[in-house]
Amino acid sequence: MSHASTLQVLGRDTPRQDGVAKVTGREKYASDMSLPGMLVARVLKSPHPHARVKSIDTRGVSDPQAVTLTPQEVPGIRFCPRLVSTPEATYKDWRVLTDKPRYVGEPVAAVAAESEEAAQRALEAMRVEYEPLAAVYDAFASMEEGAEPIHDVIELNDQALKVERNVACQMEAREGDPEEGFKAAAHVVERTYRTSRRYHAQLETKSVLVRPEPGGGVTIWSTTQTLHNTRILIHEIFGIPMGRIRVVKVPLGGSFGSSIQVNTVVPIAVALALKSRRPVKLSLTREEDLHDHCSYQMVFRLKLGADSDGKLVAGHLDAWLDIGGHQVQAYPLLGCVVGWWVSLYRLPHKSYVGKAVYTNKVPSCAFRGYGNPQITWAVETLMDELAEKAGVDPLDFRLMNYIGKGDLFWGQGPTVKSIIQSCGVEEILSRGSEMIDWYNRPKAGSQRGRYRRGVGMGRGYHTSSAGAPVPGTVVDFGGAMVKLNEDGTFDYVSAMMDHGGGTMDANAKIVAEELGVPIHKVNIVNADTGTTVYDVCTHASRGIYSGGGAALKVARQVKDKIRENAARLLDAYPHALKFRYDPERDQAVIYAEGVSGRELTFKELAYAMRHKNLGTVAAVDSYRQPSCPPHFTGYFVEVEVDTWTGRVRPLRVVAGADIGTVINPKLAAGQVHGGFAQGWSMVVNEDLPHDPATGDLLNRGFLADYKVPTTRDMPNLDDFTVFFTDTYEPTGPFGAKGIGEGALNPVAGAVANAVQNALGVRFYDLPITKDMILAAVGGKEGQA
Amino acid sequence: MSAINRQNTHIIPVDFQYHQPETVGEAVKLLEAHPDAKPIAGGTDLVPKMKQRLLEPGHLVNLKRIRELQGVEDRGGEVYIGAATKLRAVERSETVQRRLPLLYSCVRSIGSVQIRNMGTLGGNVCNASPAADGALGLVALDATVQVAGPGGTRTVKAGDFFAGPGKTVLGRGELVTGFTVPVPGPDVGTCFISVGRTALDISTISIAVALRMKGGAVQEARVALGSVAPTPLRLPEVENWLKGRELDEATVREAAGMVSGGIKPITDIRGTAEYRREAARGMAMEALTRAGGLEGRSQG
Amino acid sequence: MKVTMTVNGRARTFDVEPNRLLLNLLREDLDLTGAKYGCGMGECGACTVLLDGEPVMACMTLAVDCEGATIETVEGLSSGEALHPIQEAFIEEGAVQCGFCTPGFIMATKALLGESPEPTEPEIREYLKGNICRCTGYVNIVKAVQRAAEALR
Repeated sequence: MSHASTLQVLGRDTPRQDGVAKVTGREKYASDMSLPGMLVARVLKSPHPHARVKSIDTRGVSDPQAVTLTPQEVPGIRFCPRLVSTPEATYKDWRVLTDKPRYVGEPVAAVAAESEEAAQRALEAMRVEYEPLAAVYDAFASMEEGAEPIHDVIELNDQALKVERNVACQMEAREGDPEEGFKAAAHVVERTYRTSRRYHAQLETKSVLVRPEPGGGVTIWSTTQTLHNTRILIHEIFGIPMGRIRVVKVPLGGSFGSSIQVNTVVPIAVALALKSRRPVKLSLTREEDLHDHCSYQMVFRLKLGADSDGKLVAGHLDAWLDIGGHQVQAYPLLGCVVGWWVSLYRLPHKSYVGKAVYTNKVPSCAFRGYGNPQITWAVETLMDELAEKAGVDPLDFRLMNYIGKGDLFWGQGPTVKSIIQSCGVEEILSRGSEMIDWYNRPKAGSQRGRYRRGVGMGRGYHTSSAGAPVPGTVVDFGGAMVKLNEDGTFDYVSAMMDHGGGTMDANAKIVAEELGVPIHKVNIVNADTGTTVYDVCTHASRGIYSGGGAALKVARQVKDKIRENAARLLDAYPHALKFRYDPERDQAVIYAEGVSGRELTFKELAYAMRHKNLGTVAAVDSYRQPSCPPHFTGYFVEVEVDTWTGRVRPLRVVAGADIGTVINPKLAAGQVHGGFAQGWSMVVNEDLPHDPATGDLLNRGFLADYKVPTTRDMPNLDDFTVFFTDTYEPTGPFGAKGIGEGALNPVAGAVANAVQNALGVRFYDLPITKDMILAAVGGKEGQA
Repeated sequence: MSAINRQNTHIIPVDFQYHQPETVGEAVKLLEAHPDAKPIAGGTDLVPKMKQRLLEPGHLVNLKRIRELQGVEDRGGEVYIGAATKLRAVERSETVQRRLPLLYSCVRSIGSVQIRNMGTLGGNVCNASPAADGALGLVALDATVQVAGPGGTRTVKAGDFFAGPGKTVLGRGELVTGFTVPVPGPDVGTCFISVGRTALDISTISIAVALRMKGGAVQEARVALGSVAPTPLRLPEVENWLKGRELDEATVREAAGMVSGGIKPITDIRGTAEYRREAARGMAMEALTRAGGLEGRSQG
Repeated sequence: MKVTMTVNGRARTFDVEPNRLLLNLLREDLDLTGAKYGCGMGECGACTVLLDGEPVMACMTLAVDCEGATIETVEGLSSGEALHPIQEAFIEEGAVQCGFCTPGFIMATKALLGESPEPTEPEIREYLKGNICRCTGYVNIVKAVQRAAEALR
């Protein structure tokens, strides 16, 4: 690893700082927290997919300690729970409690009482009268004339916006002349693809604890990916001055995008705490959580054309997003879908029409990859078909057309463009194909018999953050503070959240690397909105690239201050001073080379500065990254399909990732392992269908009927290989890029292509269930 | 109040009185005295149902303190298993492993280690789920269910014990005390297979087969399937057809076709009726092949 | 109802309603929040504790049914700051991401290694299939169990 050779801290496995708390059960998640005198809240949810609330009667609640909350008692503000876009890209259609529920499970009222049992009793004593309205569960039916309007008026850029035909928002994009492009194409394939609604199944359900403070403020501990946006939204809804809203960082029991937005439970609990003047805890049950969020279900009509040499010439994409009852981030997603698509392969001519459509279903929100796993599955499936048509090996076809170093890249949408400066695609594909013996894989459909094996590949990427050289419609910057403590250690403080991937540890390591100290000298400080500068959110795989970028920027400033202060104390020139680490003293040392006695350990420096009243060496700053470099990934997967039961098993996985400099090898590989598990399950299992008879989820919110992979559903250790390419991102901290979402995005395509290779049958709907496999195989060749 | 607001899996949102009898007689009395009483052992089926408010019993009668309901006993030609014996204890019993390998496979297939540490064989049966793997094993082994009630004790064949999804032939005040399982002879081959969506799932479809063989011919056959009918389903027509036949690939194929045609599955969230019919064919082929001692993993 | 049980080595007596779940008793009355609520229905294993040495789902266990029982939770595994080898192995192998499933996995692993000190990989996977992790894809968890088994040998 040529780039890594000079690194001292990065690239080595180091124990995570929150590890001890997590393995001893002492880590307190939001759902674990409690306060003296606390009330426990329950939400009253709509049993109707679409209705008007005619009345709410709370007189049956006999518990004198119970505090109820109805739509009339909350601020009548329309808001968007996700604050990552500029106002012209932020559509607002949510309320704290609704009097017009638009999906089964939407919060209509709430109650807090002395215990969960008491709150449950109080909840059941409330009476709500509804006027049911017609409901629609399909995006295309929803757009038809005469369909019941789900929203009449919403807000955009703080202006009223009339909703037509239940289309929440739309976007078009065009470059070149696609019609002419397709005319020139020797090979064209057009297909329609349908994805499913997936549930994040983050292990901790959405939870919040709110304590009202003297003077009208609140302190909030919640499952969130963003402290500062939580504070801003609570300020916007309740008008509490921001200084009196303190949002405290607590560890997240998984998120995967489900808490990019401020969770529905947060403003409800704030309202209850303000009303009751007591701390209020609101932690969803799993069945409530399943009624709270899911991924975006998408339908794509995708058309690609290639010339006779196998070069892509034109593409067209129609995308329909079924977003459920509310918008969380549908408009930015329309931009990302086209961005993800056009940044995979070079398309001189291309056009795109995207529509996001309301339905009376659980609202969709970001789910790891933010549409990228869906569109990459469609593209990677179609690339295989087009390669076959063009008579080119699918791997070679990708190598001929991929977007890489030096190419223009706009993964995060049309307003977020930059040039790619590092790329490991070729290394991923060449090493991966060797390991899986790609060119000797079975010929598609050549096998008979019960068990059939297939090898497939898929490649893709995700952006590392949403940065760019110029502002767009996406907010993306962060910040950090680093200070030198009096014992020569450093405190690293940031509002950035760690979802579990080790983001904060990685960034602490970047600080340690820059300051030339071992990782145990950099302490990750728990933080809140009052002690940190703004960080937008941990999403878009930006934790290391942006968060680490901010940490590095600040660490450099701290280093300069150490230099300046040491120069003064040592009577030396600052720029001539050097740094080394002395393991015997376990201290970093700053010294003038060759001059005996002119050295100070960091501890001595801090000590002297304190006694000479020179102040604390510290720096705090914001950081906006100049780009959002793609981290590239590729998967080669071998599957076995049992044509008697329709079961598909993963036999072998080879995954390559270009994440620039690797900071924590085991945790980075862990992202890939977890990404594979989610992508695998996306293909073979996961879907959250609604029951058209009731509008409720068919599984009624229970995990018994939303299956995620277990230990036994994954390949054996020896059959799962992860490798990282030797790449260096010039704009990243010590050359690093992201990994979180790229680890997932190409999996579905690779798995689906492997199934096709095994059976000779291609599927255009996800998930590819065992039912579908038996139907396809049986229909084709019976019990062979 | 609608179901969505009544269910709460954080707690058991139902109040009940709790009883801990120490004899079967006491338990029967309690069950008889309280029509809204439910027996509880492991609670792995009952507690979730109460959290969902599908059941709201006013009394729970804990059976786990009743010693006579516990344990596995080798009685020579048969094995007796107390109803409140935990599934893990059944699975760990050397007697079961050695003498009832089919039941061992079925029990191992139930839930996770944690679930089997809690759940009991009696619970798996009395829950009367058509998907219960333990119940399927007992049906395929032609076990006898021992019942105690206000009128004394009686026995019911496992195959006759179920009256529909969640329904058994137990009357008021009756409870299952144990199972008598005939031990198949050395000439009997058995096989259990189930298919789920993941490795931890209620069976989408399951099959248990027992074949008594002589030479290459079937002397006696038992074929039972789970999740294909309102109760665990025996298929006598297939069993009778197999009787006396030479077990070869053609026989297996034809019998599997009869299995596929003989079940009456429905479509639910776990799988379609068509799927179950088609999968039943392949699973029957595998189960008959393995139980009959033909090639282990046939390539069809 | 009065119920007495030993929790992490200490005898405790509680006065509980019959419908009180062991999980809520541990979390609310003893502030032992290592065992988590994940689904409440026995599907995820996040609430796994050892009851008389065997892993069970505390979310479905009645507290009144624990009379005389010995309960071990993840908080009882390590003494002072010294970690149990299973805990160390989970950190060393990167088996901890969000950490919400970790206590359940660790307790199930303790039971597994008690029963089978040298488990094969398939045994590990079979034993732990009742514990759901959405972060790791289980690779580093299985490695951690193997490492812990070696350390405990």
